[in-house]
Amino acid sequence: MDVKRHIDVIRVNPQDWPDGTPAWKAETPELGHEVIPAGRYTSHDFMKLEWERIWTKVWLLGGRSDDLGEPGDYICTEIGKESVLIVRQHDGSVRAFPNVCLHRGNKLRPEGRGNVQNFRCMYHHWTYGLDGRIERIPDLDTFPQGGPPGMRMKLYPCEEWGGFVWFSLNPDVEPLSDYLDPMQQHIAPYHAERMAWVRDITVEWDCNWKTSVDAFNETYHVQGIHPQLQWYLDDVNVQIDCYGRHNRYLIPFATVSPRVALPSAIPPAIHEIMVKAGMDPADYEGRVSDIRRDVQLFKREHGPAQGKDYSELNDDQLTDDYHYMIFPNVSLNVHSDDIMMFRQRPHATDPDKMYYDIWMFELVPQGQPWPERPKHKRFKHGDRSIGQVLDQDAFNLPTVQKGMYSDAFPGLWIGDQELRIRHFHKVIDDHVYPHGKRPGDL
Amino acid sequence: MDLGLQGKRAIIVGAARGIGMAVAETLAREGCDLAVTARSEDGVKDAVASLKRYGTSVVGKAVNVKKADDYRAWLDWALDQLGGCDVLIPLSSAGGGMGSEKYWSNAFEVDVMGPVRAVEAVIPAMAEQKSGAIVLVATTSAGEAMGGPQPYNAMKASLVTWGKQLALFHGKDGIRVNIVSPGPVEFEGGNWDMIKGTMEKFYQAQLRQQPTGRLGTPEEVARCIAFLASPAASWCNGSHLVVDGGFTNRTHF
Repeated sequence: MDVKRHIDVIRVNPQDWPDGTPAWKAETPELGHEVIPAGRYTSHDFMKLEWERIWTKVWLLGGRSDDLGEPGDYICTEIGKESVLIVRQHDGSVRAFPNVCLHRGNKLRPEGRGNVQNFRCMYHHWTYGLDGRIERIPDLDTFPQGGPPGMRMKLYPCEEWGGFVWFSLNPDVEPLSDYLDPMQQHIAPYHAERMAWVRDITVEWDCNWKTSVDAFNETYHVQGIHPQLQWYLDDVNVQIDCYGRHNRYLIPFATVSPRVALPSAIPPAIHEIMVKAGMDPADYEGRVSDIRRDVQLFKREHGPAQGKDYSELNDDQLTDDYHYMIFPNVSLNVHSDDIMMFRQRPHATDPDKMYYDIWMFELVPQGQPWPERPKHKRFKHGDRSIGQVLDQDAFNLPTVQKGMYSDAFPGLWIGDQELRIRHFHKVIDDHVYPHGKRPGDL
Repeated sequence: MDLGLQGKRAIIVGAARGIGMAVAETLAREGCDLAVTARSEDGVKDAVASLKRYGTSVVGKAVNVKKADDYRAWLDWALDQLGGCDVLIPLSSAGGGMGSEKYWSNAFEVDVMGPVRAVEAVIPAMAEQKSGAIVLVATTSAGEAMGGPQPYNAMKASLVTWGKQLALFHGKDGIRVNIVSPGPVEFEGGNWDMIKGTMEKFYQAQLRQQPTGRLGTPEEVARCIAFLASPAASWCNGSHLVVDGGFTNRTHF
């Protein structure tokens, strides 16, 4: 690799943290070196296979449990051509059902959140209870055939885990806990439920949903599009782990990439990490290369007094980026004090478009008031800045998507640093081609 | 032109990187014996190993300039190792920073008291031999705004005043004191290298302000420092030389 220095990264000994997030390096799977066909990103046929065999079969992230605090609170979310209502019940449980009136097909609610006593269609006032049962059909006696079967919406499987609510369009889906395994043990120690919304944005991006997932599944692009992050993280000493259908990588933060010379002054972004931890960078006597470890020690010592319970996290987790991908479409950067996650949803009909949901949460220190939830914002690719780093991520995606159509581009030429991309596509294959790939399959 | 540095004994504080390293290298190439230091042990070790290739005697040990006793002990050690001192160039710096009072004490301890303690340590030896050259290194940021009202800028400014008055005071002892103020200098691992990577727009704006469209190199500054430190600059005393490629706006009357 093109590096200027060798760095021996201090990492925790996984044995020292048996109950927390596993830090072990998983065995690297043998996934070959084949080109990943570009057609997967452009083909309507492949998009249809994805719909039939992935989106309608697996568990999908619906929203945050804390948006469903009271009975009648609902989240209306969309996946492909389906719109789904996720509703807090009177007994505290959650249910999900289609956001479509069984009378003439009208949507019951627009996308977003709210609180209702019941769902009354704005067309002919068919009214549904929080549990999806039809409560009222005006002039029911004029329907000789009676109401729709069972007088209720069909329910989608819906469960909560880790402060999030999940649903599936597949009535026969496996239990959520089986599907997520082993992500629960990995992510639970961060206590996402102690973190509050700070950012809720949806951007309509001009690329296939997988183009976006790929963009966050490798660190190789840091030297290409995020030069400034080389004075913030180590994009070379990255641990990649693949687990069943999910995967992750671990990136040391608060350190300087071996791709650049070590400065004697504290880089601005690392300065900010220190300030956020409660340290005074002006008072720091160590070397820049010692900062990561010293921030860990400082947070370990001072976290409790700051109302921050880091007791379930290992030392690396106090600085580093543990970056997970939950198949098929959730990328999470989990950190001790915040979570930055992306939900990447396909467009209903166009393989060249997708919805990129940015969800960010910050730890609310004990004793501090729970901050007001930011309003959801929505815009199109490039219309507004989503921050320097994410703008850099977004910049190339439309041209990457266009290149997928070129006759001169057979597909993705993937290197070792991009192993998670290969793994992601292998898991797609497992779903799309359950009996194995045949010649000519994308 | 022969600088006349052959066989001179030079002490350089802050010699592991950037301008300091380039000064050490220039002086070694000119035939000076060197005692060098910096805060980083690895840095000093690497610097000594590299500087030895010019065939002069080079010694070095790490020291934290902020630790006054350690620093004085190092200076005594350096004088002892070299058997005296003809050239002193103390240029270690705590660097910039704003927003914490600590930046004032850091700049005072390193940028001001670093040179002060070194000068006080070598003056008796230089006065006794009736010759010596000291070059203090300030910055163009002392005279023109850069990066906000930083303690670094103000503390460096004090070296210009103090250096001139040292020159007046010690001329009788055969000691010359001059000051060099470099403009922005770029080298691998230096601040401007990092700024180029982390704040590209700001970096480009700096380049546009440079008459030559680039930043300086450590070697370009080091050659000027070496000249002022050399017997070739025998009539330069109390001079303040701005070495900035024309970067500063004011006219240096």
